[in-house]
Amino acid sequence: MSKGVLGRELSAAEMRKLNVMTPRVAKRRAIWENENAKICPEGSILFTESWKATEGEPVDIRWAKGFANKLLKGQVTIFEDELIVGSLTKNVKGVELMTSFRPFEIQKMLKDGRFARNMSDQVAATIDEDDMKALAEETEYWVNHLPPDYINDALRKELGDQHFELMNDASCVLEGPYLRKNPERGLFADVGAWGGVLAVHEDVVDAGLGAIIKMAYDEIEKMKAEGIDFTKEGTDAYGKYNLIQAIIISCEAIVKWANRYSEEAKRLAALETNEVRKKELEKIADVCSWVPEHQPRDYWEAVQATRFLHLAVRKEQPQRPENSVGRLDRILYKYYKPDVEAGKLTRQDAAELLGCFWLKTREGEILQVQPAATRIAPGTNLPNITICGTDGNGHDETNEMSWIILEVMRQIHLSEPAVYIRYNKVMEDDFLLYALECNKDMQGGIPAFLNDEMGAERYIARGVAKEDAYNWAASGCLGYHLDCSEHTGGSMHINQAKVLELTFYDGYDPLRDVQVGIHSGDPKTFDTYEKLYDAFLKQEDFVAKALHDDYAIRWKVDREHNFQSGLGSAYLYKYTIPIGKCPTRGGCKYPNAFTGWVGDRGTTDVADCLAAVKYLVYDQKKITLEQLITAMRANWEGYEDIHQMCLKAPKYGNDDEYVDDIFKKLIFDTQRIIESRPDPFTGEKPIPFKGAASGHILHGMHVGALPNGRSRGESVNDAGTSAMPGMDVNGPTALINSSTCDNISWETFGNTHNMKFASNLFDNPEKLKLILAMVRVFFERGGWHIQFNITDSKELKEAQKDPAKWKNLMVRVGGYSAYFVDLPTSLQNEIIKRTEHTV
Amino acid sequence: MSEQKGVIFNIQRYSIDDGPGIRTIVFLKGCPLRCLWCCNPESQNLKPEISHNSNLCVKCGRCAMRCPNKAITMTENGPVINREICVSCGTCTEECYPQAIKLIGEEKTVSEIYRIVKKDEMFYRASGGGLTVSGGEPLMQVDFVEELFRLCRADRIPTAVETCGMVPRSSFEKILPLTDLFLYDIKQMDDEKHRKLTAVSNRQILSNLSWLVRHGANVLVRLPLIPGLNDSDEDMKAVAEYVQSLGLKRVELMPYHDYGSGKYSQLDREYELSELKRHEEQRVVDIHNIFENMGIKCDYIK
Repeated sequence: MSKGVLGRELSAAEMRKLNVMTPRVAKRRAIWENENAKICPEGSILFTESWKATEGEPVDIRWAKGFANKLLKGQVTIFEDELIVGSLTKNVKGVELMTSFRPFEIQKMLKDGRFARNMSDQVAATIDEDDMKALAEETEYWVNHLPPDYINDALRKELGDQHFELMNDASCVLEGPYLRKNPERGLFADVGAWGGVLAVHEDVVDAGLGAIIKMAYDEIEKMKAEGIDFTKEGTDAYGKYNLIQAIIISCEAIVKWANRYSEEAKRLAALETNEVRKKELEKIADVCSWVPEHQPRDYWEAVQATRFLHLAVRKEQPQRPENSVGRLDRILYKYYKPDVEAGKLTRQDAAELLGCFWLKTREGEILQVQPAATRIAPGTNLPNITICGTDGNGHDETNEMSWIILEVMRQIHLSEPAVYIRYNKVMEDDFLLYALECNKDMQGGIPAFLNDEMGAERYIARGVAKEDAYNWAASGCLGYHLDCSEHTGGSMHINQAKVLELTFYDGYDPLRDVQVGIHSGDPKTFDTYEKLYDAFLKQEDFVAKALHDDYAIRWKVDREHNFQSGLGSAYLYKYTIPIGKCPTRGGCKYPNAFTGWVGDRGTTDVADCLAAVKYLVYDQKKITLEQLITAMRANWEGYEDIHQMCLKAPKYGNDDEYVDDIFKKLIFDTQRIIESRPDPFTGEKPIPFKGAASGHILHGMHVGALPNGRSRGESVNDAGTSAMPGMDVNGPTALINSSTCDNISWETFGNTHNMKFASNLFDNPEKLKLILAMVRVFFERGGWHIQFNITDSKELKEAQKDPAKWKNLMVRVGGYSAYFVDLPTSLQNEIIKRTEHTV
Repeated sequence: MSEQKGVIFNIQRYSIDDGPGIRTIVFLKGCPLRCLWCCNPESQNLKPEISHNSNLCVKCGRCAMRCPNKAITMTENGPVINREICVSCGTCTEECYPQAIKLIGEEKTVSEIYRIVKKDEMFYRASGGGLTVSGGEPLMQVDFVEELFRLCRADRIPTAVETCGMVPRSSFEKILPLTDLFLYDIKQMDDEKHRKLTAVSNRQILSNLSWLVRHGANVLVRLPLIPGLNDSDEDMKAVAEYVQSLGLKRVELMPYHDYGSGKYSQLDREYELSELKRHEEQRVVDIHNIFENMGIKCDYIK
């Protein structure tokens, strides 16, 4: 049995005794749930106000001042009964935006009256009339005051219009937002901005921003004392000086912003008639006058500091909310333990405070600008929380906070923040069984399990020291970050299904009637399977090169014109201040970790396609390649025989070497292609990555029928190593064996293994032990990331019919959990189809 | 390499209800009993046979065209198989893409089957699971089972047999040293009733059971509970007393379900218990209590 602080028992039963849903937390949760999302342009307007006033100043300073203006002038709101404070906007479900980043899209949304998070029409965002007017004015300003479109102009100049054809229109590469053409652009390219990062660092909580500010001032003094000239634009010294100034501006603003909360709490306390609440407000005032400037004096302050540090990142760049909370159990335990030992804090009070934190983390919303409305579920902010893990010497760092975090998650029952467990074989059964129990109650894939050792070892192989490599946390939809380094952006995805389609037509895109790929050979000449496969690799290489060229130009131009985030730099101050560079430009302990993440989607589709062609055309000789291509081109119409033959051909995910061998060869070969072109900035191999966040739907829309039996427009497979929906028929162990064949996860960061289980497989302790055995084998075999959806398809179908009744039903999609009823119908259908493992 | 052949009609991985841990179940064809409630009617006949599912049929008529013996006639409701002519060659299934028409049972070598069993070795080890052979009555093909278990022993994969007990003593003698667990059905203590329900006497079954227990086998007695047919209080007490007399400490109840009823029509047979309803949960609890009250631990599959 696991023991906690003071030798007290840690168990599922003990955790269930906690009441996280106190009247306070229950009330705050209900208010959040019943609230409609509301657009709040205040932050955007304050940024613009500052931007106008700082014309002519260095871009880093302008950015930092814009950020500071939001914190110093924006409304500070403490909601009723809150203990942990710090709000993205004045509304509980406020949508903060940044008009300057997306002026054309917002203009269009205003015109179309489309301020709806229009995924399923379940939830709509509203906006007050005054705010609408202000937003319209603001938009008007940005449409007329954008700087030149440096990045796209450079791309067009160097690579020509056909580059956009290939990358964007033909959907060979996703992440359209990064690649979009004029006029859909903003002040900065999204890709260069601070976002999708690890926002809370243990040592920043511990040191306090005051220490960072002091270090920054000292460095400036040092530069001055050394007589360094930092006035010349374009020099390293100029960059360093301005970055450090930006750090100071950003950190000082955060401290003042926290103090404004302190003032607000004092004001409310003075008005408060209820003595209990008055005391709480006085405590809040005290806490916010101390953190995050100083080291927290107790657990409460540590939670509050974490809140401020996390929220600040979101305030800086609200368009990219994927900021992870980091290793929360480790961060808080340091304060929890002494408080409990001193008798100042109970487990119950700690849980309630964490519950308050949880709701605050969930509060803000993002603006969904994509009209396609098929990409991400509404409200997906990805503030990931990571728990457990080892120190690299076999010492399990799971602690009492890890247990409490799971229980808070379980009782509050929200799709976000998602919890990731760094699984290691040394972990105790009781904790893991409890985690699976929580998974059952949460239904949709949380907590997810990641491979503790592999997460570290991949970086050790890239030259990172063991103690740094083992300090990592989940981030974004399927990525993870080292605590001491950074690698934002640079993540783009090759649509392998599209690349394969081009191969069947010698580089021609039948859907758009244009030659976009290279001439990789007339399929008539493919008299062996190997010739077809080689042609595919040639197309892949062609697209990979285009992607590489794009990446090199994009980031070079971006660095010339984009800001260095003062806030992001502050959080890695130990490196950024002496180096004088933002983490994404080398200001971190391992600059080569900035190496681009190059992903691909549709690998399982392609493996199934290749297997079908090999089987039907070359091995069994049931049809010719020409017949197959004709049927594909007709989208199977009039060729149902061939269609059925293709559907029946061997499929990945069944522990069948015929396909699995093709699958792993495909993974290794395409990765060699991606790795053959080093990152232009670091000289290192790019990191192969399997992204998620439902990009597979968008990608699939631009791909025609293929030999795996897919029809035109169907989504390609979601991230990683799951089987195609409904195609794994040999049960979960077979699927796991396929997905862990030959250590493929070691090669690709971010690949997810989704499994969907009927809830009856989780409904008693004996069955949970079997699921745990499966988890252990998955990792023993070298799996990276496993997550379970626990539902019955009957339930899901009912939910589709009557969404109002099933508001709470959660599912896991790619790298995030979402409410099922919020998902678009196509995605709902796909989840229903994905084989449900029953016995 | 073992070339010993057996007729197998299914392999089910991640099975969690037939023996401890995560198991692979290999289903062998052929059974000496004809239990009225049999949920695997396709297992009874030792030879392969053809089944067809009219729900999946697209009425393309390929099966009828392909059949070398002209045993299939295509109708509006799908294929009609003349089972007197059909030799279960399986040609008709080759081009049935919706997989409506299927060949149940195929001859496989022990090596072929063991290759699949071994794939989940890590899962067995992590969960305390292993291989279970079931059927049909797997011991009708005892040489196949013996070979298969021998390979398991060599790799330390635990083995279990799900048996009706109606096989020669010699079959048990062969596999006893290779078997970690016997899942042994008792369907009815009264011999006359047993004949009515299963078409055979229970004498040999009970005698084999007591022989196994005396020879140190690890046996778990399981009781299929068929409402109104073998589940009265007297029936249960008789079983409980017998189990007690053998010195066994535990039984498992398997309440009736009708999941297999749809398979009968696919084999052009009739399901005789189509009117039968499942137990009320309380009845299962009551039966459970009968055993527990007599000091026998009683589990049931929910």
